[in-house]
Amino acid sequence: MIQIFDPKNVDYDKDYGTPASVSENLVTLEVDGVSITVPEGTSVMRAAAIADINIPKLCASDNLEAFGSCRICAVEIEGRRGTPASCTTPVDAGMKVTTQNPRLGKLRRNIMELYISDHPLDCLTCPANGNCELQDVAGEVGLRDVRYGFSGENHLDAEKDHSNPYFSFDPSKCIVCSRCVRACSEVQGTFALTIDGRGFDSKVSPGQNQDFLDSECVSCGACVQACPTSTLMEKTVIDAGQPEHSVVTTCAYCGVGCQFKAEMKGAEVIRMVPYKGGQANHGHSCVKGRFAFGYATHEDRITKPMVRDSIDQPWQEVSWEEALSFAATKLRGIQKQYGRESIGGITSSRCTNEETYLVQKLIRAAFGNNNTDTCARVCHSPTGYGLKTTLGESAGTQTFDSVMFADAVMVIGANPTDAHPVFGSLLKKRLRQGAKLIVADPRRIDLVKSPHVETQHHLTLRPGSNVAFINAMAHVIMDEGLEDKAFIAERCETEAFTAWRNFISEERHSPENTESVTGIPAAELRGAARIYATAKNAAIYYGLGVTEHSQGSSMVMGIANLALATGNIGREGVGVNPLRGQNNVQGSCDMGSFPHELPGYQHVSDDALRAKFEAVWGVTIDNEPGLRIPNMFDAALDGTYKGMYCQGEDIAQSDPNTNHVQAALRSLECLVVQDIFLNETAKFAHVFLPGSSFLEKDGTFTNAERRINRVRKVMPPLAGLQDWEVTQALSNALGYEMSYNHPSEIMDEIALLTPTFTNVSYERLEELGSIQWPCNDEAPDGTPTMHEESFPIGKGHFAITEYVATEERSSRKYPLLLTTGRILSQYNVGAQTRRTDNQMWHDEDVLELHPQDAEDRGINDGDHVGIASRAGETVMRAKISDRMQPGVVYTTFHHPDSGANVVTTDNSDWATNCPEYKVTAVQAVKVTEPSDWQQRYREFNQKQLGYLQKAQTNEPVVAGK
Amino acid sequence: MGNHQLTSLIKMANQIAANNTHIGDETAEAEMVANHLTKFWARSMKAQIKEYLESDGSELLPIAKKAVASL
Repeated sequence: MIQIFDPKNVDYDKDYGTPASVSENLVTLEVDGVSITVPEGTSVMRAAAIADINIPKLCASDNLEAFGSCRICAVEIEGRRGTPASCTTPVDAGMKVTTQNPRLGKLRRNIMELYISDHPLDCLTCPANGNCELQDVAGEVGLRDVRYGFSGENHLDAEKDHSNPYFSFDPSKCIVCSRCVRACSEVQGTFALTIDGRGFDSKVSPGQNQDFLDSECVSCGACVQACPTSTLMEKTVIDAGQPEHSVVTTCAYCGVGCQFKAEMKGAEVIRMVPYKGGQANHGHSCVKGRFAFGYATHEDRITKPMVRDSIDQPWQEVSWEEALSFAATKLRGIQKQYGRESIGGITSSRCTNEETYLVQKLIRAAFGNNNTDTCARVCHSPTGYGLKTTLGESAGTQTFDSVMFADAVMVIGANPTDAHPVFGSLLKKRLRQGAKLIVADPRRIDLVKSPHVETQHHLTLRPGSNVAFINAMAHVIMDEGLEDKAFIAERCETEAFTAWRNFISEERHSPENTESVTGIPAAELRGAARIYATAKNAAIYYGLGVTEHSQGSSMVMGIANLALATGNIGREGVGVNPLRGQNNVQGSCDMGSFPHELPGYQHVSDDALRAKFEAVWGVTIDNEPGLRIPNMFDAALDGTYKGMYCQGEDIAQSDPNTNHVQAALRSLECLVVQDIFLNETAKFAHVFLPGSSFLEKDGTFTNAERRINRVRKVMPPLAGLQDWEVTQALSNALGYEMSYNHPSEIMDEIALLTPTFTNVSYERLEELGSIQWPCNDEAPDGTPTMHEESFPIGKGHFAITEYVATEERSSRKYPLLLTTGRILSQYNVGAQTRRTDNQMWHDEDVLELHPQDAEDRGINDGDHVGIASRAGETVMRAKISDRMQPGVVYTTFHHPDSGANVVTTDNSDWATNCPEYKVTAVQAVKVTEPSDWQQRYREFNQKQLGYLQKAQTNEPVVAGK
Repeated sequence: MGNHQLTSLIKMANQIAANNTHIGDETAEAEMVANHLTKFWARSMKAQIKEYLESDGSELLPIAKKAVASL
C-alpha cells in the first residue's frame, strides 16, 4: 500500500502479485531466459510480472504480503530443489527461473483440479463471470477434467450471508485463499475476519462466526476487492452484471481524497473500486467512498430550477433562464436599495476548485464586494491562520505516506479511523510496525486501543483546555532540555524564539500546574512530551478537536511551536498535519473563498496583488475584507445583509446555534441555493439551482496533503448543467461576463494568478496523476514535503499562545460539557450518506454519556434525553458509554432532526470566528417527548416538503402521474 | 437596525484583545489587535465598532479600546 512506484513504469491496472520492494540495491536475474533487474527483496513473481511474464496465482495480490498458500505459482529455479512458490521466493543475483514447463503445468492442473472439485460449476450464471481469477487460472493451466467427481463431501450448500447492505458473502464459492482475511488485517487493520477451523473445515469467519453486519467489520470493502472469486461480491454487480468501462475520478467525501475507478455500464455507476494509482489511497477506501454513492441518483435529487417570492409559498419549477434572471434581478434590486455590500455568497468545500474559484470571482467581480466565505470557516479556518503565522503557509506539511516514516505520532482532537478512515488504516499499519502513539482526546477513540494498536499515552484532556495542554507539552520540552537547538538556531527567528522561550518556561505552564485545568495527570503528560521530543521522527495529526474552539488558532500555533522546537519539520515522517473534514476544504481555502484573501492567500488590501487580479478580471476589486459567515448572519439580523448565493453548503444544519442561523436566513430577501437536494438551507431559499454531484462534472479537488486530484465526469449532469456552468450563467445574468468552455480554462486562470499554482494545468495533472502544490518553476512537479530548506516567511516563527479559558464552562445549571464529532458511516450533515444504506449503521444521532452521569440522572441506555444549553434545547436518545469521561457528553450532527446545533452556541475562535462546536455547557435530563424546537422543525419541514411537492406536481400533467 | 452585530463585535474585539495581552507593552498589544482588525474585519464592522467607541465604548477592554481608537 505504501510502496512508492515510479508512476511512469507501473501499470496500476495490473496485479504484480506481491508488493514492490523499496530497496535501492538492484539484483539481476533471468526468468524464462529474459534478464530482469529489480530491487533486492522483490519476489520472483513480481520480477516476472514486471517483464510481463505472468505466473498463474490465486492467493497473491500486490496489495498484500506474500502468503504462499495456493501453490499455483510454483516455479523451477536452477540449482534449487523442488518447485518453490514464486510469491514467497525473493530474487537472487544470477537466479535462473523457469515459469512454464510440462512438470509445472501438471502440478498446477492438479492443484486446480482439487480446488474445482469443491466449487460450484455455475460459471455462466455466476456474478463474477467475466471477472473471476479462479476461472482465469483454470483457463491458464488448461484444466480439462476433474477426476475426483463432485459427489464427495463439499461446501456447495454453505449458507450465504446477505446481511451487509452492499455486498454478499457466498462461502460455497470460497477457495480459502485468505486474501480477504489478509486485506482486513494488513490493508484495513480491523482484523474482523479470520479463518476458522482447520483443514477441510477451514472457513472465512467474520468476528466469531457472526454475520458480516454483526461483526467488527467496518464495511471498507477491501475484502470484496481482494476476493478472486464471487465469494465476496458487490450486490450492485450481482444485480447488474459486470461493468463495461471505467473512469478514474476522486472521491467527494473526506479530505483524504481517495481515487476510484468508477466502473460503469453506460451512464450508470455499477461499483467504485479504489484506484491503485491514487496517490493518497493506493487502492484502499472506506465504506463511504466505495459504497455510498447511490445518493447521486436518489429520487430526492432536484433536477429543475425553482423560484418563489417568499418562503411561505410553494416552489415553482422554471427554466434555467427564468431562474437565473429571477435571481439576478432580485440580487441587483437588493443592492440598489440597500447598497453594494448588502449581498454576498458562500463557496463550497465539496465543490471543485474551479467551481469555488468561480463563485468567489462572481462575488468579488459581479457583486463588487468581498462578502465571500466558505464552510472551511466552521472547520479549519484556524489552521489557515495558525500555520500561516508560524510556518508561512496555510497548509499541512506532509504527504499521507509520510506517516510510514514516523517513529512517534501524536493525534490531537482527531478520530482518523472514523473521519479519515483510509489515512487511519495507513497510520495503524505504521503503529503495528512499532511507531509510538500519543492520543490527546476527551474520548476514548478507537485508536486508543484496537487490535494490535495501543496508545502509549491517552491524554484525556477536558474540552476547552487545549492550549493549556499544548503549552505544558512545550514547557516540558524546554524544561527538560529536549528541544532541537540546532534547528531552532538555523531555521527559526531568534527574537520570537527568545520571547516564546521566556513565556513557555514560566512555571505556571508546567504539567503539574496545569493538571487542574487540563485534567491530564502530570506524569502522563511528561511521558508523552518525552516520546514526542525524543523520537527520531515525530508527527502531529490533528482535526477539528483542535480548531473548533475559542482558541482554535492559538492551539494550531501551539502545535506548530512544538514541531519547530523539536525540529520536526521539513522531512518525511514529521510535520504538522491538519486532517481536513471535507474533500476540498484545502482547495476552497486555496481558491480565495475567505473574505480577506484572493486566491493563493493574497490579501485584498495589497494594491499590487489586487492589480494583478483586476487586470485579468477587468473590474475594480474592493480593498477591504468582506463579511465572514457569522458576521453575515449578524448583519442579516440587523437588516444590512439581504441577499446570498450559497453553493453546496447546508448552513442551516451545519452552523452552530441553529435558532440564530434560521432567524438570519428568514430575514433574507433573496437566498439562492445551489445544491443537489432540497437541503435544510434550501427550505429558506427563494431560488433553487439544481447542482451536480461529483460524478457529473469535471474539475479538481485538493486534499489535506495539498494534492490536486482530477475529478472526471462519468455521467451527464442530471439537471443539464455542471455547477461551474451554473455559476457562469448566473454571473452573465448579473452582467459580468464569463465564458469558459471547460474547467481546464478556469484552472489556467488560477495558475496565472496564484504563485503556488503556476505550473498546474490539466495536461500536467494527466501526466503526473496528481500534483501537490506549490507547483511552480522552483518545484515543477509539486512539493510533497513543505519547508525542507526554508519557510515561505524565511524563518519559522514561534508564536506566544497564552491560555485564555473559554467563556463556555460548566455551571450548576449546565454541569456537563458537550462535544460534537462524526462517525464512520455518515458524512457531515448526512445529505449524501443518509440517502444510502449507510443508514443501517447510524440512523439517528445519539447522546453518548458516561455511566456515572447517566446513573446520576436516572438515564438508561436508549432513553430519550433532553439536552439544554443557553442556546437551545433538543432531544436525543442516550447511549451509555465508558468511552466518555465523567462530565463530558458527545453527539454527532448527521441528522437534521436531532438538532445538535440547536444546542451549540455562537462562541467562536478569537482569530477566525470558527465556531466552538467542541465545548458547550449542557444539562441532560430524561424526557418523554421531542423538544419545542424539534416539534417546530417537523412542522416547518413538512410544510416545505409540501411546497416542493406542489412544484413537482404542477408540471404539465402527464396521464397517470 | 438591531444590535446583533454590535454585540458580536464587542465580544470579538475583547476576545482578540484577551488573546494578545501577553507582551506586557500596552501600545504593542493594541497595535497587534488593531492590525488584526484591519486585516480581517469588514469595512462595516470596523465602522460600527468605531462608532460604538466614540458614543460609548464602556464594554470594550482597555486594549481593545486603544486598538479601535487607532483604526
